[in-house]
Amino acid sequence: MATHNTGTREEWLAARLELLEAEKELTRRSDQVAQRRQKLPWVRIEKEYRFETDEGSATLADLFRGRSQLLVYHYMFGPDYTAGCATCSTIADGFNGFVVHLANHDVALSAVSRAPFAKIQAYQRRMGWTFSWASSFGNEFNFDFNVSFSEQQQREGSIDYNYERGGHAMDETTQLPDIVVQNAAMCGTDGPTYTRDRPGMSAFVLEDGVIYHTYSTYARGLDGLWGMYQWLDRAPKGRNEAELYQTGGLWWRRHDEYAKR
Amino acid sequence: MTKTDLIKRKLVSPKEWLGARKKLLVQEKEFTRLRDQLSRQRRELPWVKVEREYVFEGPNGKEALGDLFEGRNQLVIYHFMYAPDWEEGCPSCSFWADNFNGIIVHLNHRDVTFAAISRAPLKKLNAFKKRMGWTFKWVSSGNNDFNYDYHVSFPAGVPKEELEYNYGNPPFATSDLPGVSVFYKDPERNIFHTYSAYSRGIDVLNTAYNYLDLVPKGRDEDEFEFGMEWLRHHDRYEK
Repeated sequence: MATHNTGTREEWLAARLELLEAEKELTRRSDQVAQRRQKLPWVRIEKEYRFETDEGSATLADLFRGRSQLLVYHYMFGPDYTAGCATCSTIADGFNGFVVHLANHDVALSAVSRAPFAKIQAYQRRMGWTFSWASSFGNEFNFDFNVSFSEQQQREGSIDYNYERGGHAMDETTQLPDIVVQNAAMCGTDGPTYTRDRPGMSAFVLEDGVIYHTYSTYARGLDGLWGMYQWLDRAPKGRNEAELYQTGGLWWRRHDEYAKR
Repeated sequence: MTKTDLIKRKLVSPKEWLGARKKLLVQEKEFTRLRDQLSRQRRELPWVKVEREYVFEGPNGKEALGDLFEGRNQLVIYHFMYAPDWEEGCPSCSFWADNFNGIIVHLNHRDVTFAAISRAPLKKLNAFKKRMGWTFKWVSSGNNDFNYDYHVSFPAGVPKEELEYNYGNPPFATSDLPGVSVFYKDPERNIFHTYSAYSRGIDVLNTAYNYLDLVPKGRDEDEFEFGMEWLRHHDRYEK
């Protein structure tokens, strides 16, 4: 790392106090965005979805597990992947530890993926996670919430992801970024197969037996939900990956795949 | 489970919802850019050389602050509230720990070493860590001044107006409060303090709150005098 400015505690404090104001401003803005998010209107879910879970066949209502709010993490694990997405795995390493707190604050969290349930179960066991994870194999849930796309949509260029048509690097059909191809290889698949599934988070509410869709976020909308980045943002080197991105490198691995050091 | 009535919402068609959602998306993207910008500003802070020697009690015996880096250049410390006479660690800090315990392995691969530090003796820290099933490194600052120098522990008998917390005064009289501090070690083994955050400054490091910010009821803590009243140690919720 290049040499950095050093100073006395007094000099540091003056700069820190200035930054503190900016941080407080951002916290207030975050609260405002959260309030606006909570004011979004709701859409009634008319469709019946059937999922496979560790408790057998389940409806969307069952995924609430007695709570009135449900968060679905759209975990990228397509039917043809040999393992769950390694990048989603770094997000899951975070929420696996705290879903118990959400569950005791009226929020059920469930991951949902298209892979058959047996594949999900084997992978989850390998990773040592305990959060709820349902398979939407064969149903339209993932397609309805814009996190899975067909080969035809890929060919036609009619993918709407993150509220935009063809606006994401993963929508590219001729030349996918190296980082996407690497992610695909880590799931034992090719780029086009890998990118037919996408990450996202959706929120639902259950009221008087009726389910409403309240919110979905995708792409960098997940950034604040990705624990490791929030910590790296506070380290002197930051996310420390810009150079890697230029050379197409992907630094993270599944937690059991890092070389011991 | 808390029971607050959901505010009745105006139900809309998918098309109307999409219109409202896209408007919000513009604000969300603006917020993300501002956060990136603030992260850059944060890294521009000057560094302060750490001149004092601190010795901690940890799993490898006595360890100096420099040892805690474990060969990496960056060290992130979570100031975990656990005073020497407490029977268990703070429930709120435990909530934070449930957030970071699983992701440290990834931080380690971006040149970041992570450790929690508390004043309670190592024996207590180890027993509590075992109970909670955590694996992160946790060392005791015992009787050294580390916690006081970084403004997360406070001597008894001093009025709070004379104490420093979050660059102001502590909100109430207490022996310990939470925070995060960051250090850098250069090739000449000089150690620099780069950053500390407290209070709501560590809010975003509790990712679970960012998840709650996505659901209709939000953080849903307004009815409590102390916001986190609903919170328990993860093994203390009713089944």
